[in-house]
Amino acid sequence: MTYMAIPNIGNYTIALATAVESLGIKAWASTATTPEALKLGIAAAPETVCLPLKAHLGHFIEADRAGVEYAFMVNSVGTCRLRYYRHMIEHILKDLGLKIKIFGLGFDGFKPPIVRHFDPGPITFLKPLFHTALKIKVIDKLEVAAWRTRAIEITHGDTTLLMNKLLVELSESKTMARTRAIRKKVAGCFAEIPVDKEKKPLKVGLVGEISFLRDKCLNKNIEYILGSQGIELRNFFLLGEELKNITRIVFLNQNKRKYLSKVADRYLQCTVGGHALDSVAHSIHCADEGYDGMIHLCPSGCMPEVSVRPILKRVSKDKDIPILEMSYDEHTCDVGISTRLEAFADVLMERRKKQPARPSRGEGN
Amino acid sequence: MNNSCYLGIDVGSISTNCVIITPEGEVLFEIYKRGEGNPIKSVQQCLAQLTEKLPDRFSIKGVCTTGSGRILAGAVVGADVIKNEISAHARAAIQLYPAVRTICEIGGQDSKVTILRDGAIVDFSMNLVCAAGTGSFLDSQARRLNITIEELSSRAMMSENPTNIAGRCTVFAESDMIHKQQLGHEQKDITMGLCNALVRNYLSNVCNGKEIKPPIVFQGGVSANKGICRAFKDALQCDIIIPPYNMVMGAYGAAIIASTSCIEKTKFRGKEVSAHHIITKGFECGDCPNYCEIIEVLDEDELIGRTGGRCGKWEGRTEPREALKGTGPRGSVMEHQTCRQVGNVPDLIQIGVSKKYRLSDK
Repeated sequence: MTYMAIPNIGNYTIALATAVESLGIKAWASTATTPEALKLGIAAAPETVCLPLKAHLGHFIEADRAGVEYAFMVNSVGTCRLRYYRHMIEHILKDLGLKIKIFGLGFDGFKPPIVRHFDPGPITFLKPLFHTALKIKVIDKLEVAAWRTRAIEITHGDTTLLMNKLLVELSESKTMARTRAIRKKVAGCFAEIPVDKEKKPLKVGLVGEISFLRDKCLNKNIEYILGSQGIELRNFFLLGEELKNITRIVFLNQNKRKYLSKVADRYLQCTVGGHALDSVAHSIHCADEGYDGMIHLCPSGCMPEVSVRPILKRVSKDKDIPILEMSYDEHTCDVGISTRLEAFADVLMERRKKQPARPSRGEGN
Repeated sequence: MNNSCYLGIDVGSISTNCVIITPEGEVLFEIYKRGEGNPIKSVQQCLAQLTEKLPDRFSIKGVCTTGSGRILAGAVVGADVIKNEISAHARAAIQLYPAVRTICEIGGQDSKVTILRDGAIVDFSMNLVCAAGTGSFLDSQARRLNITIEELSSRAMMSENPTNIAGRCTVFAESDMIHKQQLGHEQKDITMGLCNALVRNYLSNVCNGKEIKPPIVFQGGVSANKGICRAFKDALQCDIIIPPYNMVMGAYGAAIIASTSCIEKTKFRGKEVSAHHIITKGFECGDCPNYCEIIEVLDEDELIGRTGGRCGKWEGRTEPREALKGTGPRGSVMEHQTCRQVGNVPDLIQIGVSKKYRLSDK
């Protein structure tokens, strides 16, 4: 059996693995970077590159050691260094003398090289793709449900457990019918978790670099830490939303970015790349929607996110919304993270006590 | 007569501090102890000192631990509340100076600034990966000059014409200092220059973009250094308040938190813990490819707590290892009672797992 290593985008890796089946091969992945992979990546990469690259690199090295022949990495998405990632990783792997072959995947023609290489038949190709889209939708649904429930659950860990259980089920699901059945039961399963309905949890938005928003090894399990402190989250990277955006661009010529840049216009007029625009626009948006605070995840050395930091400070001041800046690199220790998050939760709680009726316009979704 | 009291323990990177207060917030005892890299032993020694000092009529009604070693210390002494040090420091400062608007706290390896308005924290910031604005910087430079940290403090106060020293980085500060020494600068001027460098670094790194408004309270271990206080006054052009328990403010704040959090029955394991033989044992979880290192805290043969692990299923749990092995992520420090056995659900899902093996298994 031929295997292909795919990059890590948190739980969405499960859906991506299905997409790989469209090429008639099997995926090799995990839903979070393993510490072992991170170690390998740090050792192999230049010191100053950002942590996501090290994580992906380590993942591919680990894959090669496990005997995986192929890997794929996104090409040319966004205008940050991510577009050079594939080339960088390719070169580093070559220097290390590894044989794994990396395909790029991005906007490179109607029939990208990766498809040309494996050349699957049309039916084998399309069916898993539809399945992938469905799985992405289910994962979106799971994520959204988990953020809400985790903040108000009575027994800590119930949500995480259910979520992991459903994700395992989803990763084992081979047919669309089964995936649909899982989708149907998501709402019911989450409703069964005993929750404290009276509790009005703090609402916090997570913005920043996407690998950090998604990979719980890199962000040190921030969703869990915050959720178990009774904070309702909104993570501003949902793959389903991103895909919806792409289809909108293709078929309806409606780009979400246009809307975002309108929102952020007062603060950011030019493109800085990556998800920087999203970070600014979502922060403004959340402030207007009555969120209690924002957390900005930024790998140290990430050009787009670092350049919007001063802007976020300004937004925080103008809109009166606390924004916690988290900077991560491989030396970041867990205690430092949890200390900051706990203190931030205290700050938000005190604020809430002082102004119990913050204007809230609608639900945050 | 009320004989209840509350204990706050702050286990920092360099020192371990204990404070005992009455329910009214009056400090009975304070202990500041520089740790020798063994937090459990330091906590035990603190408790031993406490046993000597504290009259028997007092009984401890609540314990709160704080600092970077708070979870471990919490397991050792049996803490009722485990609180982060930013909140603990702020709580202590507010107790003593209700009008405080800025708290500067410089400890061994952490430096923080906390901005308060109307008695509530509105913003805070903590140093990132650099130790140049912390106590360790001074420690290492004092060692370089072959003087104690207390001497450094008193010598800096004598300086009239401080030398300018590059404080961007601890290593380069040292080379700059050697250079200045060899140019013939006086030691007292160099020490004051070091203090200025530290404060400059702190203000530009940690306080970057924050509104520093008086009244400013300066606390943490480094606040005992008069040279630094002088440098702060010069840099900020306003008066700095050094609170009476400046070295142990974290522990004081923790004690106040313990006294105000309505503890019905304390989980405190008693002062006798100081004499117990407490050891830690590490093992690898291995239930998922995270391979978390779990630390078990053992009192003789009795398991009193665990720390470590990403998914939270080990944290604070005292069930036998076999009972938890293979279960899914669950539980937090407070949830001993409600744990249930569950099926094998990993925290990290692997696809194409058949080919994955660990390098160390080779």
